[in-house]
Amino acid sequence: MALTILRNSQEMSETKEFVFEETKDYTGAKLGMWLFILSELLLFGGMFILYSAYRYKSPADFHHASKELDVILGTINTIILLTSSLSVAVCISAIQKGQRKLSMYLLMVTMVLGLLFLVNKGFEWGTKIEHGIYPNSPVLLARTKGEILFFGLYYVMTGLHGLHVLVGVCVLFVMLILIAKDKINRMHFTPLENSGLYWHLVDIIWIFLYPLFYLIT
Amino acid sequence: MTSTGEAENIRPRINFYEERRGILSWILTLDHKRIGLLYLIFVIAFFFSGVVLGFFMRLEMIAPGGTIMGPQTYNALFTLHGIIMIFLVVIPAIVTVFGNFFLPIQIGARDVAFPRINLLSWWLFVTGAAIVTLSVFTGEGPPDTGWTFYAPYSLRTSVNVPMAVFGVFILGMSSILTGINLVTTTHRLRAPGMTWKRLPLFVWAIYSTSWVQILATPVIGITMVLIFLERFFGVGVFDPTKGGDPVLYQHMFWIYSHPATYIMILPAMGIVSDVVPVFARKKIFGYTAIALSGMAIAAVGSLVWGHHMFVSGQSDFADILFSLLTFLVAVPSAIKVFNWVATLHKGSIVIEPPLLFCLAFIFLFSIGGLTGLIQGALAPNMHLHDTYWIPGHFHYIIFGGMGFGLFAAFHYWFPKMFGRMYSRKVAKWAWLIMFIGFNIFYFSMLLLGWEGMPRRYYDYLPQFRSLHLTATYGSWILIVGLILMFGNFFRGLFRGEKAEDNPWNGVSLEWQIPSPPPTENFEQIPVIQHGPYDFKELTRNE
Amino acid sequence: MKTEEESHVTAYRTYILVWVGLVILTGLTYTVAVGLQAEGWAVLVALAIAGTKSGLVLNYFMHLKSERLTIFKVIIPLVMAVFLVFILLTFSDLAFRGGAK
Repeated sequence: MALTILRNSQEMSETKEFVFEETKDYTGAKLGMWLFILSELLLFGGMFILYSAYRYKSPADFHHASKELDVILGTINTIILLTSSLSVAVCISAIQKGQRKLSMYLLMVTMVLGLLFLVNKGFEWGTKIEHGIYPNSPVLLARTKGEILFFGLYYVMTGLHGLHVLVGVCVLFVMLILIAKDKINRMHFTPLENSGLYWHLVDIIWIFLYPLFYLIT
Repeated sequence: MTSTGEAENIRPRINFYEERRGILSWILTLDHKRIGLLYLIFVIAFFFSGVVLGFFMRLEMIAPGGTIMGPQTYNALFTLHGIIMIFLVVIPAIVTVFGNFFLPIQIGARDVAFPRINLLSWWLFVTGAAIVTLSVFTGEGPPDTGWTFYAPYSLRTSVNVPMAVFGVFILGMSSILTGINLVTTTHRLRAPGMTWKRLPLFVWAIYSTSWVQILATPVIGITMVLIFLERFFGVGVFDPTKGGDPVLYQHMFWIYSHPATYIMILPAMGIVSDVVPVFARKKIFGYTAIALSGMAIAAVGSLVWGHHMFVSGQSDFADILFSLLTFLVAVPSAIKVFNWVATLHKGSIVIEPPLLFCLAFIFLFSIGGLTGLIQGALAPNMHLHDTYWIPGHFHYIIFGGMGFGLFAAFHYWFPKMFGRMYSRKVAKWAWLIMFIGFNIFYFSMLLLGWEGMPRRYYDYLPQFRSLHLTATYGSWILIVGLILMFGNFFRGLFRGEKAEDNPWNGVSLEWQIPSPPPTENFEQIPVIQHGPYDFKELTRNE
Repeated sequence: MKTEEESHVTAYRTYILVWVGLVILTGLTYTVAVGLQAEGWAVLVALAIAGTKSGLVLNYFMHLKSERLTIFKVIIPLVMAVFLVFILLTFSDLAFRGGAK
């Protein structure tokens, strides 16, 4: 998202043609991305409000249901995302230092970690669904209201989050292509930095999802 | 030339209409002015449809019992009237049309911070609008839930709720992106010398509004998604049979929808703040108070949503808290009203259509605000909630306030946008007719509500007959005024005389460039040396 | 206007140290959750740790610490305040209903 400032040409001719010369406002582009991040935080924030409300209402049910989630897998996924944040952060420093190959390698690592996260999530969901636990399933509906809500929130929140991870991986892939084509380099890396910001956002959301779903005592 | 303090600028010979032609150059444009006009076309089209829906609603309600339609149709009509007017007209109108068109010019910029995102916002708006429109004609018919989509009815009703809420979700995305664009533009693209304290108050108003768009809209976004998911996957979040709490739906819905009313009104207040000084030939009274009160309204206005829920079953404590906060939010609005009146006091008043609409705004908005205080108190609310008092109140605010503010903007900026002038005489007559019709119509609603007439009811007891008749007559007078006003605009557009660059003698930057503006707004970015209401500057050079 | 070339380059070492901190905090939150029994405490501790981890990500990975303009310093506290207000006012209803919850 580069900011474009349009300037007219110096020429004075019969038919005045405006020639647009692009000057990029790096800070402005970054600000725009941050404002978008704010909106995403509140998108998930809305769900966190619902989570708090229902956990407050049925703490025992939430505790009980949470035990059915795989804590180990959840913790591994947390480490995966944290590491992917590391790799994308170093990737950006690398491109700033002109270390193109390193940055491409790290970007690929980030994407692989992201996909790994999604694969794990797929397994988690798969096992649950096999056991008949999914929204509106007869097995789930036979349980207490609090547990129905827990799993409803679980699927929606981790699902929405997973969707954001997927989008993030796609965005990073585009960045990879752009680095390969030298459209992103040490002189101009704003899109990469903004993509990194988005990726860290996805990480931060999971930092909260993890204890709230997997570590309910 | 006053604001640049430089030698006369050479005028470019073409304006932004002539720059490039053809429909593709419009729907793929990156020019904020063209995007503003693209929004205008849709906003006007949807406003007309909303008015037509309202017209038929009033026709039905002219007498008790069925008049021209059955109850299901009536439910669909008021739902659609609400969805269209709120999401497709009142929330977007001033921000996307005039914010897009004039904010960059008023700050001395050539365009917004993210022109491509701006175009994307418009496309999302069109897509959302299309989806909402489609929901009327597909499935089992249009939603009948009211524009508020309350659970659990919205989860169970067989009509096309999913499509409508999905459309609202897309519209929300458009709104968020516009907010991001305008906040970044205001921070990053002000011309040299354009300090925050020299910004026109319209810019301050759009800036405050944009923050609300960014921060509040995501909550309704997720709420619409949840309705959608509940209907298709039975998630259970709002469904009482699965432990969900319908009151929690109302919280989530109103957390956005109350601030949304400030998205609607703040830009209109910005218009009034810009127009009144020009037609009083006097600097605005209390510039800082008006600028900051807009931010205060945005902030405090995000704390009051529970006043829509006094009878919903929420706790007494929440009732009291939200009532108190609601009284607080009246304060910054009142500050603005006092300051506008103080600006007019001892001013050199010029009676022109833009001012007339602003004066009507001040009067009608004040009535709306005062009725808001009455219903914001708990005891009266018990009786007034879900009666005609409520639509009476909000039409005073939204139509009398935002609507008249929008019309003021049309009359003020029409010459600048189109390079032509409408008939001022016809405009004044249209204004008068609208003002009379409006009050007959909506004051009757306040009275109906006071007497106990429930809202969203298709039928009613005979005792309400005369007030309903009066209201319907008022609506017809109002519509005549609207037709006259828009007729005047269309005529002005095609056959009006050419307008000067500065027909109203304003000081803000848009009046220092040609009508219509050239593509990049300014030959050279101006260097700003004074504020936008410095009329002494203008008279010194006259 | 700052160009990209002039922007601050964070050392690799800093990033790695932050990552180590994040992993340790993850381990901490896991241990505490398994160890602590009292419901009320546990959620607050978990949120505090999550908040700290987010703070590290925001300040170091997302470079908020090295931003100079006021607007960047304001936005995260702003969104936290907004969220807090939304959730507290919602709970002014939920926590005080009386009767069956």
